[in-house]
Formats: sequence, C-alpha cells, structure tokens
Amino acid sequence: MLRFVVRRLLLLVPILLGLSILVFGWIRLLPGSPAQALLGERATPQTIAQIRHQYKLDRPIYEQYWGYLHTVGQLDFGVSISSRRTVTYEFAHRFPATIELALAAMIFAIAFGIPLGFLAAKRHGSLFDHISLVGSLIGISIPIFFLGLILKWIFAVKLGWLPSIGREDVLSEAKHPTNFYVLDAIVTGNGGALWDSIKHLLLPAVALGSIPLAVVARITRAAVLDVQNEDYVRTARAKGLPPLIVDSRHVLRNALLPVSTIIGLQTGLLLSGAVLTETVFAWPGIGTWLKDAIFNRDYPVLQGGILFVAIVFVLVNLVVDISYAIINPRIRVS
Amino acid sequence: MSIAELEAVEIAFEGAGGLWRDAWSRLRRNPGALVGVALVAIFVFVAVLAPLISPYDPRAQNLLLVARGCCPGPSSHHLLGVDQLGRDELSRLFYGARFSLVIGVVAVGVGLSVGLLFGAVAGYLGGFVDGLIMRVMDVMLAIPGLLLAIGIVAALGQGLWQIMVAVGTTNIPIFARLLRGSILAQRENDFVLAARSVGVPRRAILASHILPNAISPVIVQGTLALATAIIDVAGLGFLGLGPQDPGTPEWGTMLTEVDRYLQSAPLLAIFPGVAIVISVLGFNLIGDGLREALDPKLRGRG
Repeated sequence: MLRFVVRRLLLLVPILLGLSILVFGWIRLLPGSPAQALLGERATPQTIAQIRHQYKLDRPIYEQYWGYLHTVGQLDFGVSISSRRTVTYEFAHRFPATIELALAAMIFAIAFGIPLGFLAAKRHGSLFDHISLVGSLIGISIPIFFLGLILKWIFAVKLGWLPSIGREDVLSEAKHPTNFYVLDAIVTGNGGALWDSIKHLLLPAVALGSIPLAVVARITRAAVLDVQNEDYVRTARAKGLPPLIVDSRHVLRNALLPVSTIIGLQTGLLLSGAVLTETVFAWPGIGTWLKDAIFNRDYPVLQGGILFVAIVFVLVNLVVDISYAIINPRIRVS
Repeated sequence: MSIAELEAVEIAFEGAGGLWRDAWSRLRRNPGALVGVALVAIFVFVAVLAPLISPYDPRAQNLLLVARGCCPGPSSHHLLGVDQLGRDELSRLFYGARFSLVIGVVAVGVGLSVGLLFGAVAGYLGGFVDGLIMRVMDVMLAIPGLLLAIGIVAALGQGLWQIMVAVGTTNIPIFARLLRGSILAQRENDFVLAARSVGVPRRAILASHILPNAISPVIVQGTLALATAIIDVAGLGFLGLGPQDPGTPEWGTMLTEVDRYLQSAPLLAIFPGVAIVISVLGFNLIGDGLREALDPKLRGRG
C-alpha cells in the first residue's frame, strides 16, 4: 500500500512541473508583453522597465522560469491588480465559498442519485426505470447556467421562496471565522445565520449538482444491474437472507465501488461548473473571482488561480485513487 | 488499465465487418437513438437553412417595439417575441443554431484530428515518445475543461476561431488517450503480427489494420464530444467570452443578456436554453445509442 501511495506521489511531480511550465508559458503568450499585462492600463515606459527588472523579465527564459518556480514554491503568486491584495490571500478567502458550494452539490447528487439509480435497477425495464433514464439524459444535456437561470426564475423571482444571489443576506451581521458560512453559523451557534446561509446555498447547489446527480444515478443503476447477477448474490438469496439484507450488504456495497470513482471524477466538472454557477448566482467563490479577473485583465489572479485550481484537482484525484485502492485491494496489485 | 483500454479490449473481440453491420441494425431498433437522429436533423436543418427560414435579420434592431418596456412576447409578427433591443427572437434562435453547429463541429474536428494524431503516434511508437506525449496530455487534463478553454480565450482574445481552438484544445487529450488505449489493445492482435511478418510497412499497418479496428470508441466519443462542445461554447458565451460582436446571435450570449429581464420576459431565457438542450440531447442520444450498438457485451440484451 505504501509503495502504491509513493508511486502515485512521484507521478505527481512531472504533472506539477508541466502545469507550472504551461501557466508560465501562457502568461508569455498573452497579447502585449507580460510587463504590460501585469501593469494593465497604468503602464508607462518607466514602470514597464521597473517591472521588467523586478520580475527579472530582462533575464534569459530559463532563469525566469527558475525564478518563477522559486516564488511559486514559496506560495507567492503575486498581487492582484484590481484588489491590491496577494493572490494567495484572495484564494484562501474565496476558496471556502466554492468548496461549500461543491460539497453541497455533491451531497445533493449522492443523496438523490444513489437511491434513484438503485430503484431504477431494482425495477429494471419498468416505467420508473425508463423515466429515470430519460431524466438523467436530459439532466446531462441541460447547461448548468440555463438550469440555474430557470431555478432562479421559478424559486426566487416567481415564488420568492429563496434568495437569488450571494451567500447571505446583505444586512447579515453574522461572524465568519472560517468562511464556510454554514459551518460558521453552527460554530457561533447562530440559528438565524444557519438558515440564511442554507437558503442561499440551495439553488446554486441544485444547479451545480444536476449533472453529477444524473451521472451518479446512471452509474449506480448500471453497477447494481451488474452485481445483481453475481454468484454471491444468488447464494445469499438462496440461503434465505432477507431481501433487504442482500440488497444492502451484498448488492449495494459492491455496486458502490464504481460509483465512488465516478464521484471523484466529477470534481473537475464541479470546479468547471462552479465558474458558471457562481456567475448565475453571484456566488463569491473561485469561479466569479477568475471570471472577473478575465475582464479586469488581472493576470496575476488568472495565472495563480488557474494553477491553484489545477493543483486542487490533481490532489483530489490522488486522494480518490488512494482511497479507491484502500476500498478495492485488486487495484494495488496491478 | 484505463476505461478506454478496457472498452477497447471488449470491442477487439469482434471482426470488423460484422461489428458494423450488426451495430447499424441495432441502432435502427433503438428508439432513443432514432429520437436523437431526429433532433440532430432538425438542428442541422435549421442551421443550414437559417437565412431562408428566418423571418427577420437576426441583428436588425427595432427599438420602437421595446419603447414601452422589455419585452413584448409572442405575437403574429414575431412568433417568439423580440429581445431587449427589439430583435426578432425566432430569427436569432435560427442563426444561433448555425454558430453552435459550426463552432461545435470545427472544435471537435480540431480536437479529434490533433488528438488522434498524438494518440496514434504514442500508441504505435511506444517508448519515450509515448511517455512524453501522454505526460503532456496528463497536464492538459489536470486543468478542468472549461477553465482551460477560458484560459485559452483569455490568451488569444475573443472571437469565433479563438473559441473553436479553445474548445477543440480541451478535446485533444481525451481523444489522444482514447485512441492510444485502443491501439495498444489492437497492436497485440494476430492480424497485426501477420501483416508485419509478410513485410507490410509500419505506417500501412497503422493506417489499414490498426486504426479501422481501434476507431469505434472514437466515434462514440466524437458524438458525445459534440454535445459537450455545444454546451462549452454556450458556456463561454454566457460568461461573456463569446464572439466579439455582441450582436452575434449566439445562444449562450443570448442567455447572459436576459438575466436582467427574468422578471418581465422569462421566455427570452427559456427559448435559447431549450434550443441548447434539444441539440445537446440529440447528440447525447445518438452517442449513447452508438455505444450500446458497438458494445458486444450488451449484444443479445436488446
């Protein structure tokens, strides 16, 4: 097991290096010189020369890359042009919002996807099975920003049940020690703030969770159909175990193996989808941060932000791989 | 073994001619796939004939129509109403189909051809080249698709071909991996060994023996990639990274503009969204149908 983990960790090194080269090269591909890009509108010949010197842009390219690796290694991603705060600070400040949203979306997808897929498989070929199959196909065909707009229209504009934008009421005076608003409300024992933050979380989470929901339901259905015909399930039934026990201990537990990998693979989709969902609901997370950075030509934020997101994505996949190897011992050997 | 490699192994058990004939007959009996073909046919029909069937110029503004607030709904003059600048919604939807179809097909075409080239070279040559190409693909896959596309559009600037390149690039590693896995599974086959032993050149073996057999998962993925590409292009448009001219009737861009009018004119959000869903659903249905038709494991079940 340890060898497996070490090998996976070693495989990370070339990927992280490659990512750094990609992002490093990317900022040099941008229109105008990087110094211009970093300075934006305020560029004068003097400041450009100063920035070129400060960022060692007048040095050879390999020296520049080495310097870049060095600063990134110290978690120094520069300063945002629009806010004048460090990129690291802004990331740490906004990332909890995105994690909270992604987790809520995933919980929604799992809580509804697994039972739906399981029931569809148990009633294979029934009307319910067909409806859920069609439903999940439509689910993966709806762009999340469209679904978000529709949810906003129905539940916020028409019915007025839920707020349409933001993470909390504008007048809220709740304290946020961790920036996970739901957690904050629980920690500070603020019932009103808890309800408020959950209300704000509902619509974006459903929109972002729609595709994972459809995928989880489909995979669960396929896996249950597969496992149901295994010999050990037939044995369990033959020896007279109650159907409920067979379903929970033998069928579902084995069927959830492929489902768990799929859940991990959805992380990338969640991170991508967060940009769109956060835009629809003005959610102050990584997505809106990066989107605003594009329009403000805030290149330090874009450069650092994309690298951060990619690293998070790679690490999550690593955790998924390792946990999968723990659940399924066959992986470790191959 | 990756999923692609596993799929390739399964598909490899079939002879080429039999597989295709069988797949076609099963596709025709799959109601979902037929619905998909119908939806895509409508989509392509509208896209091709947009100039002939559109009642108005999609860019022609008529501010008199919106003088008393946004936005007058469906009427006999404008079947689906007009948008916030008094442009005919139906005509904009029709022309939007053009943009989605062209951008989607070109983007997938770019991703597919470059990806296949990398995948074929990596899978056939193996060794150092294989390692290098696949590590580069891993790095590209490490950035979530839409974010990679956003980064590329940010670097290249806004515009139609920039979007095609951006969305196409996100498809490169997917196709490269898929084809490589497929080729690795094919390379060990007896007919490849036979061809090599009678002195067929390497390139000819790749082109006429390995590729035709390795291609069926690529076709499935290509169809599904069209669906994703349409969504991603609309997503870029929705974020404001669409075509440079804001008057361009692009479905995603149309959705951004109506966010403010949800209260007064929700239909303007619903129409472009439904158009996207219909075209995406069409490609997804065909892709699913193809996958089932080409998967020998499911044979006899349907």
